[in-house]
Amino acid sequence: MAVVSIPGGGEVDQLYADTRELRLQGFLLFLVSDVVLFSSFIFAYLYLRNSGQGWPPPGIARPPISLAALNSAILFGSGATMHYALENFKRGNFLRYSSLMLWTILLGILFLCGQGIEYTTLYFQDHVSWAGSGIFGASFFTLTGMHGFHVFCGICYLVVLLLQSVHGVYDKNKYFGLTAGTLYWHFVDVIWVVLFSIFYLI
Amino acid sequence: MSVIAEHGGIAEHIHPEPQGFVRKYVFSLDHKIIGIQYIITAFVFFVLAGCLAEIIRIQLMHANGGFVTANTYDEVYSIHGSAMVWLVIIPMLTGGFGNFVMPVQLGARDVAFPWLNMISFWLFPVAGLMLFSSFLMGAPVAGWTEYPPMSLQGGAGTSMWCAAIFLVGVSSTLTGINFLVTILKMRAPGMTFTRMPLFCWGQLATAPLLMIATTALAAALAALFMERQFGVPFYDPTKGGSPVLWQHMFWFYSHPAVYIMILPAFGIMSEVISVFSRKPVFGYRMIAFSSAAIALAGFMVWAHHMFTSGIAPYMQLPFMVLTFAIAVPTGIKIFSWLATMWGGKIHLTTSMLFALGFLVLFTFGGISGVFLAAIPFDLHVHGTYFIPAHLHFVLVGGSLMGIFSGMYYWFPKMTGRYLSEFWGRVHFALFVIGFLGTFLPMHWLGAEGMPRRVASYDPQFQWVNQLESIFSFIMTAAILIFFVNMLYCIRNGKKAGHNPWGARTLEWQIPSPPPYYNFKHIPSVFGLPYDFTEPLPYTHLEDELTDAPVTVGAQ
Ligand code: HEM
Ligand SMILES: [Cu+2]
Repeated sequence: MAVVSIPGGGEVDQLYADTRELRLQGFLLFLVSDVVLFSSFIFAYLYLRNSGQGWPPPGIARPPISLAALNSAILFGSGATMHYALENFKRGNFLRYSSLMLWTILLGILFLCGQGIEYTTLYFQDHVSWAGSGIFGASFFTLTGMHGFHVFCGICYLVVLLLQSVHGVYDKNKYFGLTAGTLYWHFVDVIWVVLFSIFYLI
Repeated sequence: MSVIAEHGGIAEHIHPEPQGFVRKYVFSLDHKIIGIQYIITAFVFFVLAGCLAEIIRIQLMHANGGFVTANTYDEVYSIHGSAMVWLVIIPMLTGGFGNFVMPVQLGARDVAFPWLNMISFWLFPVAGLMLFSSFLMGAPVAGWTEYPPMSLQGGAGTSMWCAAIFLVGVSSTLTGINFLVTILKMRAPGMTFTRMPLFCWGQLATAPLLMIATTALAAALAALFMERQFGVPFYDPTKGGSPVLWQHMFWFYSHPAVYIMILPAFGIMSEVISVFSRKPVFGYRMIAFSSAAIALAGFMVWAHHMFTSGIAPYMQLPFMVLTFAIAVPTGIKIFSWLATMWGGKIHLTTSMLFALGFLVLFTFGGISGVFLAAIPFDLHVHGTYFIPAHLHFVLVGGSLMGIFSGMYYWFPKMTGRYLSEFWGRVHFALFVIGFLGTFLPMHWLGAEGMPRRVASYDPQFQWVNQLESIFSFIMTAAILIFFVNMLYCIRNGKKAGHNPWGARTLEWQIPSPPPYYNFKHIPSVFGLPYDFTEPLPYTHLEDELTDAPVTVGAQ
């Protein structure tokens, strides 16, 4: 960063931020607005939940915590593999990076399968559905579905990143896409912590 | 002219001069063209929504209506309000003036993400067409606020309304992100936050609101859409949902949204008033920081729209007090502008006339807002014509007057030509007369208890409504004059040169209209742009108005 001195005004750094910095900031702001999107639905859920019908509403059983806990473990595991994938890339350890990326993608897919199993049991066994089970179905399927969609997009993004890095788009000094992918994946993890707590723990 | 990119990081911000009509004017990446695209599109929607307004006024000429059916009337005012808020005022002030003016004022060559900017723009006309197309399938009937359960029962067009507003919301959010990064990262060297023009401060305060509040609205709209289309219960009380939930989510967006609609206009006021008073802005820092304060506090007052919605009494008092409090930073601005004019050498250009009109009318609307914030008063007038009176004083007397003022001020920068000052004055005079005649009596109607959003009403109010309608025609005539003025002067206006007003912000130091790269050399800034007696606080601008070759890159 160049330092420029200004007549009568001391020094300021930099003419233009480099574009990587711009993109990182833009991406972070995008995540902020995504947080707001989730928060709004979470607010809606908590608001409805406290509207005086008791929770879960009469006639509806809570989904079992065991499967969800296993699923959470899978997702957090993928967060760890993602973290080490990036670390390895930075150190130039391309093979380990690739295999860790593959693990992350695989665990992500596993998480979605777990969610699929949960949804089908709820639907076929307990007859809980999105539109037919009052505010429970509405908030549960909307929020977890939104999160699942984010996981799905994340998986697609990671696949693209992996292909790009195989084709040598990124190197040790220039890996903005990978940083963004990691950030996004951790973001999806954190959202899940919140969803898990509000749907299964409290 | 040759373009040499010298600096690795900078090169990506400079798109080569586009060739061909489509790249230049349709899918343009240039913030100035995009700004003008926003302004033109918003004016088109302004005409359409204005026609709807006149349908409303014609209907109300008679106490038992009769011009259109009650249901059509509901559709008309719902789309009128929605279009004016989301397709006119917000895009005009953020995407329009924000895009055209802000990057140049910052000494930048474009916004941070030109591609994103283009996408934001193109979402906007698409959403607008969707909104108006809802008339074809039974438009929404519950007003621009679309409260359930009525919005759950409205025609199929209500879902279209949800989708359209969602889409302009996405456009706003992307613009917010883009502008925020631009302001934070792309200011010219030396342009610290305390040297930034106040218009940019207005945009800086607005951008996070666009980003955060609009996303909350997106959630509310998505839920309404899902409930209408798939029967997923969020708002329907018979299925356990809550209509009040919508009100919370909607106003959590829409109160900040009223600041989205006024903060950029405040920014225009600061520029115009200081330039035409030939005096430094009084209390620069107070104006700047009060914008930020308003933006923050704007998130904490939404429930003042819900005093009659059955929210818990312990929640009402804090919301009332906070709403009173938010009038304080607004008042600070008003006093700063008055003090700026005090003892100044006032040039009564049309732009300045509109700024003065803004001061009077907006202040009036702000005061009626403080009245509304007082719960005992609000309980009496909520749902009456007092609310349209208040909101038109702040939105038309405030935001729209700000837009007019900005148009007369920046038109020479956009086109290189003046708007006619004579017809500008006619526009101003007719507009203010028409405005006062239309909206001032609404306060009285509201206090007397005439409900808003009704197609027929108690005959004792008929003469007042007829009076208002006649004045509204005067207002329409004024706006027609404005449009003719613009269309005529684009080609035939008096040539204005690069700095007709003697203004000191950066956009006036380069040719009109600015070249696509804005600056041959990025300037350095060493002072505020408002000290009219000092030399200009910039360096490196010597070549901007000469034939010197363009060397795009760091100095
Ligand atoms: C001095 C600051 C202001 C205060 C204290 C204030 C207060 C209020 C209150 C309490 C209401 C709710 C009335 C009701 O529905 O019973 C209201 C409505 C409204 N205000 Fe303001 N306001 C202020 C400034 C503004 C500004 C600057 C704008 C826009 C630029 C604005 C736009 C609106 C709109 C659009 C509504 C009506 C919403 C509807 O259709 O129900 N207000 N205001
Ligand atoms: Cu409000």
